[in-house]
Amino acid sequence: MTTRSRPISPHLQVYRFTLTMAMSIMHRITGIANYAGMLLLALWLLCAAVGPEALGTANGVLDSWFGQLVLFGYTWSLFHHMLGGLRHFVWDAGHGYDPAGREWLVRINLLGSLVLTLLVWAIFVWF
Amino acid sequence: MDNKTIANPHVHYGAQKSATRLFLLQRLTGAVNILFVLFLVWMAVRLAGTERTEMLDVLGNPVVAILFSLLIANVCVHMRNGMNEVIEDYVHDSRLVSLSRLLNIFFALAVGIVAIGSLLKLAFGG
Repeated sequence: MTTRSRPISPHLQVYRFTLTMAMSIMHRITGIANYAGMLLLALWLLCAAVGPEALGTANGVLDSWFGQLVLFGYTWSLFHHMLGGLRHFVWDAGHGYDPAGREWLVRINLLGSLVLTLLVWAIFVWF
Repeated sequence: MDNKTIANPHVHYGAQKSATRLFLLQRLTGAVNILFVLFLVWMAVRLAGTERTEMLDVLGNPVVAILFSLLIANVCVHMRNGMNEVIEDYVHDSRLVSLSRLLNIFFALAVGIVAIGSLLKLAFGG
């Protein structure tokens, strides 16, 4: 069996900046962020499994301003990637390819992720 | 590459026959991940800053522990496949691709084993 190389296309720099393009990149970036974020979950559970002192240390780190910032970012990243995935389901089903449809989808994606994140933090953390 | 090679139906693109399977698997695990995100938010809200005894209490519920474990395993498959796509896009040296893929699989496995292992220890009473 012969394997031929895949066709290649020019990278980002030659294209005009568009919102759909930026959101496509954001989907990948949030995916990578979630990949790293899973390490936080694993370490938190590990600390809890090790014992009360380790859990106390983990909770202390997560409670610091930096820890809270990371958790806030992780929340947004998860929601953004989740809504991005739903957007891809819509596209997989063959809908939303027209200019108005795709612009609407990516705007809902961005706005929805921000709203969901702020809602979760406002309800469960801030108030 | 000549037209004869391109026209030959036995010629496959790089990822060959696994591409469709990975496409579907990524969407299937992605759909299940919606449940993971909601579950994780609930979990974090319920357990953030609580005492260890409280965690043992919540995770001692078998439904919670089993569901959480399955969802974490699902995430690990999704994130391994996702990172593989990133590697395919940006790493071009074939030996570096193999190495990156190996590290990627190792990371996904390590996260899964550590998270689920710790979870089970807590579920069985710490």
